[in-house]
Amino acid sequence: MTSSERPPATRRLFFREAIARALAEEMERDPRVILLGQDVGAFGGSYKEFTGLLDRFGSERVRDTPVSEAAMIGLGVGAAGAGLRPIVSITYMDFLMLGLDPLVNYAAKVRFKTGGLITAPVVIKTTAGAKGQGVAHSQCIEAWMMNVPGLKIVAPSTPGDAYGLLKSALRGDGPVLFVDHKRLFPVAGEVPIAQSLIPFGAAAVAHKGEHVTITAHSYMTQVAMKAAEILLAEGISCEIIDLRSLAPLDIELIAASAAQTGALVTLDEGQQTCGVGAEIAYQVRERTPSLRVARVNTLPAPVSSSPVLEAASIPNVDRLADAVRRILNA
Amino acid sequence: MIYALVVPGPIEDVEEVRILEWHGAPATRFASGDLIVELETHKALVEVRAAHMGILRRILCAVGEWQKVGQPLALFSDNESEALPDVVSGQEIMTVNFEVT
Repeated sequence: MTSSERPPATRRLFFREAIARALAEEMERDPRVILLGQDVGAFGGSYKEFTGLLDRFGSERVRDTPVSEAAMIGLGVGAAGAGLRPIVSITYMDFLMLGLDPLVNYAAKVRFKTGGLITAPVVIKTTAGAKGQGVAHSQCIEAWMMNVPGLKIVAPSTPGDAYGLLKSALRGDGPVLFVDHKRLFPVAGEVPIAQSLIPFGAAAVAHKGEHVTITAHSYMTQVAMKAAEILLAEGISCEIIDLRSLAPLDIELIAASAAQTGALVTLDEGQQTCGVGAEIAYQVRERTPSLRVARVNTLPAPVSSSPVLEAASIPNVDRLADAVRRILNA
Repeated sequence: MIYALVVPGPIEDVEEVRILEWHGAPATRFASGDLIVELETHKALVEVRAAHMGILRRILCAVGEWQKVGQPLALFSDNESEALPDVVSGQEIMTVNFEVT
């Protein structure tokens, strides 16, 4: 049999379908997995990413909640402590702020406080990023959350990674923050047909290159891939590392790539001050002190409801490409 | 005349669709207003209707396959005896009406 005659190993799915499939498989496998959130039931999720789950698993396991993020996360964390494996959908990442107390003060600490007797295997799934919705519906606060010991954070950029990472999230000891992005939902991509998991703490080389290492996660990986195409036409070859997992961070892969290329540009849609890029740049320079580094982030202002100002504030292909040219010419 | 039916657009945020259902097999004659094909986007359905008479000659994307906006889905002709070309590109684009629901 030639390779072209082999049955395909993957199937193309929309991003939302990859999430729904991961959830359905894990709910089938483990009756302790339940889904909580606003509009997760009959409505099927804000991005239709929970379509079909209510019909298949019933209203005891797929529960619409009141509009109270503190109560929703509190409920999820408490249920996790009592033996269930809830996934709580917080529509926009901005609203996570309302539920930080149960997430940070209980879920992330309970394993330490109880000497491992109680864990909180809860997954908080939320959608980050700017897409025309203004100051309080656009933020990427992954870096705040990376500051919390005990909290795991993943942020896939493809349907395949969303599938594999969400399955791992639902099987681990938690707590996990699963971050997707408004601009990823229109995306389709290949997802393994056979059930498979992607471990936390493993970044992926999204594009091989020689002259500069670019780190990105979530939607920004797409921006990096487009910039790499433009730069390649100018003779600049970029190695793009899709972080996938922010906590734990695959710093050894990033550092090895940066040591090889000699330059590192971090790209993320959060703020620059104490941001994802600041942490990566510092940890990489601990390993290679002479390395040239640059950061590209959203500008230090709230993301405007004006599409013109939004586009001007969030990182784009031109800003990333300029940062790469500058660092290589410095 | 041979026409290419392409994925209509622009549709906000949509670059790629999946074919949900063909409303006819090759040799089906479509009148203006007839539903030809339903397409799936990441969050909606797209109904594609003929804007003039045409005979479906060859389906290029089967149900479940993916196609990008502006790329061909099928070949049509004015009458059933016209010879189909070997290459799809360069054909007249069939005029359609589409609705996103």
